[in-house]
Amino acid sequence: MRRKLRLSPYIKSFRVRLYLIFTGTIALLTAAFVSFYVLTDMNSYRSTLEREGKLLAAILAQNARLPLFAENAEALTALAEGTARYPSVLSVTISNLNGVTVAEARNEKVQRSETIEMKVDITSPGQVLSPESVLLGHAAGDEQRVIGRVRLSLDTSGARERLTDLVAASLAIGTLFWIFVSLLCYQILKRVTSSFNLLTGGIEEIGSGKLSARVDLDGDDELGRAANAINAMAASLELRELENLALQEELLKAMRLEVQEEKKRVMARLIQTNKMTSLGLLLSSMAHEINNPNASIRFSGHMIGKMWSDAVPLLDGVMQEEGHFYLGGVPYEKARGAMAENAAKIVENSERIARVVQGLRDYGVGGGAHLRQKLEINNAVSAALSVLACQIRRDVQLTTALGTGIPALIGSQQQVEQVLINLILNAMQSFADGRGGVHLSTRYDSGSCEVIVEVQDNGVGIKPETMDRLFEPFYSTKLDRGGSGLGLYISQYIVAEHGGRLLLTSAPGKGTVARVVLPATPPSVGGVVSAKDVQHPSDALHEVR
Amino acid sequence: MQFLRILVITLLLSAPLPAFAYDVLILQSMHEKGYDEAFRGFKRECRASIRKLVLTDYVEADITRITREEHPKLIVAVGDHALELAQRQKTTPVLYMMALNVRHRKGVTGIGMLLDPARYFSVFDALGAGKVGVIYDPARSGAYLKRAHSAANRNRIELVLREVHTAKETPAMLESLRGKIDAIWMLPDTTAVSPASTEAYFLFSQGERVPVVTFADVYLSMGGAVALTMDRHDIGKQLGEMAQKVLDGADVDDLPAEFPRRVVTRANDGVVRQLDLAGRL
Repeated sequence: MRRKLRLSPYIKSFRVRLYLIFTGTIALLTAAFVSFYVLTDMNSYRSTLEREGKLLAAILAQNARLPLFAENAEALTALAEGTARYPSVLSVTISNLNGVTVAEARNEKVQRSETIEMKVDITSPGQVLSPESVLLGHAAGDEQRVIGRVRLSLDTSGARERLTDLVAASLAIGTLFWIFVSLLCYQILKRVTSSFNLLTGGIEEIGSGKLSARVDLDGDDELGRAANAINAMAASLELRELENLALQEELLKAMRLEVQEEKKRVMARLIQTNKMTSLGLLLSSMAHEINNPNASIRFSGHMIGKMWSDAVPLLDGVMQEEGHFYLGGVPYEKARGAMAENAAKIVENSERIARVVQGLRDYGVGGGAHLRQKLEINNAVSAALSVLACQIRRDVQLTTALGTGIPALIGSQQQVEQVLINLILNAMQSFADGRGGVHLSTRYDSGSCEVIVEVQDNGVGIKPETMDRLFEPFYSTKLDRGGSGLGLYISQYIVAEHGGRLLLTSAPGKGTVARVVLPATPPSVGGVVSAKDVQHPSDALHEVR
Repeated sequence: MQFLRILVITLLLSAPLPAFAYDVLILQSMHEKGYDEAFRGFKRECRASIRKLVLTDYVEADITRITREEHPKLIVAVGDHALELAQRQKTTPVLYMMALNVRHRKGVTGIGMLLDPARYFSVFDALGAGKVGVIYDPARSGAYLKRAHSAANRNRIELVLREVHTAKETPAMLESLRGKIDAIWMLPDTTAVSPASTEAYFLFSQGERVPVVTFADVYLSMGGAVALTMDRHDIGKQLGEMAQKVLDGADVDDLPAEFPRRVVTRANDGVVRQLDLAGRL
């Protein structure tokens, strides 16, 4: 284990691994070459031996042709002995066509070990014709007639000795070659991998975070180009890091600014809350201050009405007795009705003031008990128009289309009236030159069980940037014309208290549609009957279209 | 009806008769270029009507029956086998050519395959060979050698003769001639000159530096010095003339067998040069 741990760093080294691969490959190649050379040489030696034996046998067969034909055993023996004197020949046998040995010779000097048998036929010349054939002009043929056989035994023990010498010499040369090439490889690898080490060192230094470090490697080769690329990458990373630091600083600054903005917004909300609290207190105080004189006015109105009703019979008798007379510059006949009517209006408006004040007080103190009353939307519309009767100018044409069969709502009629008054007033103030038309309609949507009141004008419309802030308190585009910035804010609050929603649709130059949608229980009788072209009884001053 | 049948049969039997009317029956041993060449020479000189039978075209040819039925005036045998068949009949004279193993009988003559020994001796004389070695089979070439011997004496050439009875004896006989002769005369003797032993002549010639005078051109390429060859076409012509004489009334037995009259002498210049004989030929 200890040994393995000690060796592992070396084996992991690129230089050592390359060196091992190179030397291993060279060793394998050298071994393969040596094996190939030995095998080739041995095959060549063996084939040379066989060729030599075959040649000897062929020569012997050629020379033995005539003696064998003549059955000259002496000559054949001489030939066999002559051939057997060759160093690699072990024995020579010449036999005739029947396989009978005619001559034989052995080389006693050679030890019999591994042998190669070589057999060559002895043939008579095929191209030689008989005298008859020659005289008749026959052409010579290629057929050769076998008349005997020569058999040679060749000694191959020389091949073994040659193999041993060859293997020893090849191994020695191969080993020397391997050592030489391995040393050469080591030197080459040392030079080549020194650049790798420089490159690796530089990369490690950059990788450790020191981006200002550079790989100090010159040259136009692949490593040089890689070093240049890594240096460029490190420079780029260094630049990015600097940019990141700058961006972080900017981000911190931005975050600080945003916190300050948020702080401002929170403060604004606190101020707003404080304003609303103050407004509530103001409203409670105003209600108290108004209710007292208003009660006196209402009482006075009642008293005037009662007293006038008591005085009328007397005044009628006076007129009968004394004729026409004037009261406050007005003929009695006119003053008789107007007085009763004005007294009733005093009482009525005083009660309205009381209700308004009560509403403001409820808003201020959050009261809502009256929200559970039943209310008719058309009555609320009529009441709102009655209140606005004095404020509607002649240049403004107000038309109404009140639906029938609209079910009663649960809520405060006075608060709904207030909403409608606000919306109608906004519509009437939307004309640039004071001229225009306002259309007011009510209907019931049985599908969604909702009562819808729409106040539509053809005024200047609302700018998009203003649309987002319409329901903010104290935000008004008419502050210079007496706007308080509370109308839509309160209206939305009231509608929301009734479970409905207030929707404003507008486009600059095309007018505005304010839609109040309130939830209702489905009506028991009838559908919605169009009340188009119906003039409101209290709208005596406006033409209905 | 019976009459008609007999008439038709008679006509059929008599129709081939004109075809069988010929003077010379040619019996050729086989289809062979040398035989055809000689036959063409024969036809050129002999204008008699001819019927030719190639024996290998028949399983068995009954020459006796043919001669008895067709009555040819003359039979010309081409080749040894044809001569042997022709000699089986005794009635018709026989002329032969292209036959090597001829046994002379009565009524048989022709042109032999062996050249006149005098032609060879003139060549030996030119080569300056005083002693000429000859290996022969007495059964085949004994008669020829007897004539040759008398001719040799006339040319003052000594023939050193060695008899062989089988082909195997030839190499040993050649060995026995070593150092005793100035030239070798190779005869067309199938015992003395066999395919297996032919080589021995030329090895001997090479070893002893003596020229081999042979009977065919093919041996020149094997190491022969001079070859005396016959002209087969001229042999045919020569026999044609002889046949014409027989047809004209001459008796066959009065016509002796003849040697081929036309001889072509060729030499292997390389061998002649190596044996220092160039100036003699």
